[in-house]
Amino acid sequence: MRTFLDRLYRATGVLAGVFLVLIAALVLAQIVGRLFGVLVPGADVFAVYALIATSFLALAHTLRTGGHIRVALLLRGLNSTHRRYFEIWCLALGAFIACYFTWFGARMVWESVIWGERAIGLVAVPLWLPRTAIALGALVLAVSFIDELVRVWRGDPPIYGYRDAAEVAAEEEAERAADTPETASERG
Amino acid sequence: MTTLLLAFLLLVVMLVLLASGAWVAICLLGVGMMAVQFFTSAPTGTTMATTIWSSSDSWALTALPLFIWMAEILYRTRMAEDMFSGLAPWLTRLPGRLMHVNILGCGIFAAVSGSSSATCATIGKMTVPELRRRGYDGRMTICTLAGSGTLGLLIPPSIMLIVYGFIAEVSIARLFIAGFVPGLMLVVMFMGYTAIWALMNPEKTPPADIQMSLGQRLWSSRRLIPVMFLILAVLGSIYAGIATPTEAATIGVVGSLVLSWVFGSLTWQNFSESVMGATRTSCMIIFIINGAAFLSIAMGFTGIPRALAEWITTLDMSVYMLLFVLTIFYVMLGCFLDGISIVVLTTGIIQPMIMAAGIDVVWYGIYIVIVVEAAQITPPVGFNLFVLQYFTGHNILYVARAALPFFFVLLAAIPILVAFPEIALYLPTTMLAR
Repeated sequence: MRTFLDRLYRATGVLAGVFLVLIAALVLAQIVGRLFGVLVPGADVFAVYALIATSFLALAHTLRTGGHIRVALLLRGLNSTHRRYFEIWCLALGAFIACYFTWFGARMVWESVIWGERAIGLVAVPLWLPRTAIALGALVLAVSFIDELVRVWRGDPPIYGYRDAAEVAAEEEAERAADTPETASERG
Repeated sequence: MTTLLLAFLLLVVMLVLLASGAWVAICLLGVGMMAVQFFTSAPTGTTMATTIWSSSDSWALTALPLFIWMAEILYRTRMAEDMFSGLAPWLTRLPGRLMHVNILGCGIFAAVSGSSSATCATIGKMTVPELRRRGYDGRMTICTLAGSGTLGLLIPPSIMLIVYGFIAEVSIARLFIAGFVPGLMLVVMFMGYTAIWALMNPEKTPPADIQMSLGQRLWSSRRLIPVMFLILAVLGSIYAGIATPTEAATIGVVGSLVLSWVFGSLTWQNFSESVMGATRTSCMIIFIINGAAFLSIAMGFTGIPRALAEWITTLDMSVYMLLFVLTIFYVMLGCFLDGISIVVLTTGIIQPMIMAAGIDVVWYGIYIVIVVEAAQITPPVGFNLFVLQYFTGHNILYVARAALPFFFVLLAAIPILVAFPEIALYLPTTMLAR
């Protein structure tokens, strides 16, 4: 179960990254196509859908790497017992909202299937396609919230730690900065 | 009056949720759900799903992850080192000497990057050790970096302006054009402050240690060509009106990848790290935007923004008074929230208010970005402070105190912008009128 969940978060995260590259590829195709007078059908519609896929599929991965912003001021000031209570509250709220959104996201997918809704434009993409990415991303986010809730409930610290997104970013920067001399010497 | 009471109630709930440590996007969704569920007759879940769908289904937002990705790629190249060796020979005679490399370096990098902490980190990781080695004053190094890093928010491309433009439904190209001159103005103000500081504290600036002839200086400037080329390609194509921001961002990504390849830093590891880093950052931002989209629809249902706008009108405040109050409000928010959360949280509510007061929405976008810049360097929550804390090894309070002068320089820019709105509005009105 543990390996399955970790793989799930990782896979959706990587998939989100692939969709990010796809946005650039689609827009690039459109630009190059325009230079040669060729219209790439539906490139802009697909670029938007790739963006939707990126944004929603990465939700759980971003949560687990501490990427979502929160005000951790109070949390950091508390002792570990109280902090655990607050963390359980935050995760429970997150899990509730993510489940709620997943349910209505899935209903939206289902409705676009039965009504056969399609995108307006040159390429009439069925709308259930991008909407599935939303529902799926929300579902994986809900799963990861519950996953963390169970972990913290059992008394373990959450996987993302008690840090601000800014601190995470800053730590990454610092790590990279520490790497720089090596890479510089490799180059030199 | 009951609507205003409801607004107050929801504000309290929002603040309690935020303070309890819940993720910003979750707070926005939660308060939105509460407002729709208990105070309107609309179906909550369906409204949430359709609002988030229509907010996501937007071409304008595609520029956002691409600009983030571009900065992530450039961060992993030696562009910052090149900028140091290209700029330093020219600045060594100015009072304050190489301190100005921080400001101009950030200003130039801001023209290819849309984020404040990325700008601060890219320039800082290289100038902090360089300046320290040469014996420059540590506090002033932190101050110039923390302050100038925030230029990343204002000088286009800017993630903050994309977010604002998206929420306020203002043309992003227009905002990008408007941000340019105010950005230059801030660079000049920062450099001016640094020069005055250096003249008043001559003992704190080490002697010039670069002796170069004009020819040598020109030759060392060749290393600025790649970044100038990128700026020209990205901003030039937007300003010339031949590319949308998204297309310009794509050109920027391709250009950065080419540069990275030329510099020899385009490894698979660097590439995949840049993609995943950009994916996480844009996911975080878009999650908040989606939450805010739902919240502002919910607010619209309850009638709060309109009631607030009417209430402000009855107070009969002058525009200056309103902006004064708002500035204080934003600076207070900025102590606890990051810039993007501030913009998404307040724009939906405050926009009707400022439109009722007759303030231009493009001008307001520039104004709010400058205020948010100041917020980036106020403790206890300020992204740039965190970044510099790790680079310099000083604690957050020391860093915040060091950055204080530039915080006031940023605040000083606001009355100038109020007195001369043309600083922001001249270019967009003339360039887009053609």
